[in-house]
Amino acid sequence: MASAYYEFYRGSSIGMALTDSLDELITSGAITPQLAMKVLQQFDKSLADTLVKQVKAKTQLKGHLKTYRLCDDVWTFIVKQATFKLEGNDSVSSPRIKIIACKNGDAIEAGKK
Amino acid sequence: MSNKIVPSIYRTVIDDVIASIKPEFEEYGVSEDVLAELQHKWEDKVIASRVAEFEPPNPTPQFSHAIQMPQYASVHAYVPPPPPQQSQIKSEPVDSRYVLNTASYTLPPLLGPKLNGRPNPGGQTSVLSFPPGPPQGRPSTIPQVDGPSEDSDDSATPPPATYAPRASHPSLPQPQASSSTAPADSEAINSDLDDSDTEDEDLEDGGGANSEIVFCTYEKVTRVKSKWKCVLKDGMIHANGKDYLFSRCTGEFEFDWV
Repeated sequence: MASAYYEFYRGSSIGMALTDSLDELITSGAITPQLAMKVLQQFDKSLADTLVKQVKAKTQLKGHLKTYRLCDDVWTFIVKQATFKLEGNDSVSSPRIKIIACKNGDAIEAGKK
Repeated sequence: MSNKIVPSIYRTVIDDVIASIKPEFEEYGVSEDVLAELQHKWEDKVIASRVAEFEPPNPTPQFSHAIQMPQYASVHAYVPPPPPQQSQIKSEPVDSRYVLNTASYTLPPLLGPKLNGRPNPGGQTSVLSFPPGPPQGRPSTIPQVDGPSEDSDDSATPPPATYAPRASHPSLPQPQASSSTAPADSEAINSDLDDSDTEDEDLEDGGGANSEIVFCTYEKVTRVKSKWKCVLKDGMIHANGKDYLFSRCTGEFEFDWV
């Protein structure tokens, strides 16, 4: 867990914003692709650590499972009529949402035991 | 609400990345100005994405290319111009060429001349088993013969670069669509052939940040008959143009065949 961080959060809004910014800097010649990779690796780490340490919100999700897939320890769900129940009676609905879930670090360690 | 925490969390992530990567920039001999530029670009794009209500320190989004969610109304005053990014489907010439080629498969004598008028890579005609014919023997009133005759040499050996990617997709049944160079073609002509159960999923993937998507980890996924339960952790939800974060999410789904 200490060394490996998932890269898939790069597909999130903040990750895409970073990737696009790095692309622009590479294109303009300001940085090298190698340095950009270092930045992205740092992003993987910073984001994962921040999520774990600072986000406390709990939520529930209900919906109709349209597609499920488990490949290389990555679950993919496509859920229709998905409703997230957030804290404070808030809820967010989506007619169709895709969930990409990598194996949790704790789950990996639990599996080793 | 977990959307409220998004600005502060993203602020933390950006600051942490920028601070932590500073030594690397020095090591690479890149000036701090560039690092500051990276930070500004990044912040601007995050703000322009409108995934949460950031207090805009610099409300001038100069990037039309940013990760926008154009379809969602904004609570901010400014609305960046939302050009739908479809850069990969601009190969109009390739598109029409394919149409012509298909037509020429059934009606070679009629549409042959048009076919010749195109910059036509040899692989396509051969792929469609277009009869090359004895080119030199034909009268010059059918200018089509020039194209295939010249290209027929190439047709024995597939054209190098453009077709290589397709060969790496064995799921594609035939080399007819040349989808590696012209994705629009397969949609226009071979829509029934290219249908797959992941098609709309692929479309969604192409939407990038516009997709309704959750990135998270899972602790547990269980199923009893058609009832699924899962425990998800450390998630980033992107739905309705907004981001939401969760530490833990319990999901309960009913699997439908429809």
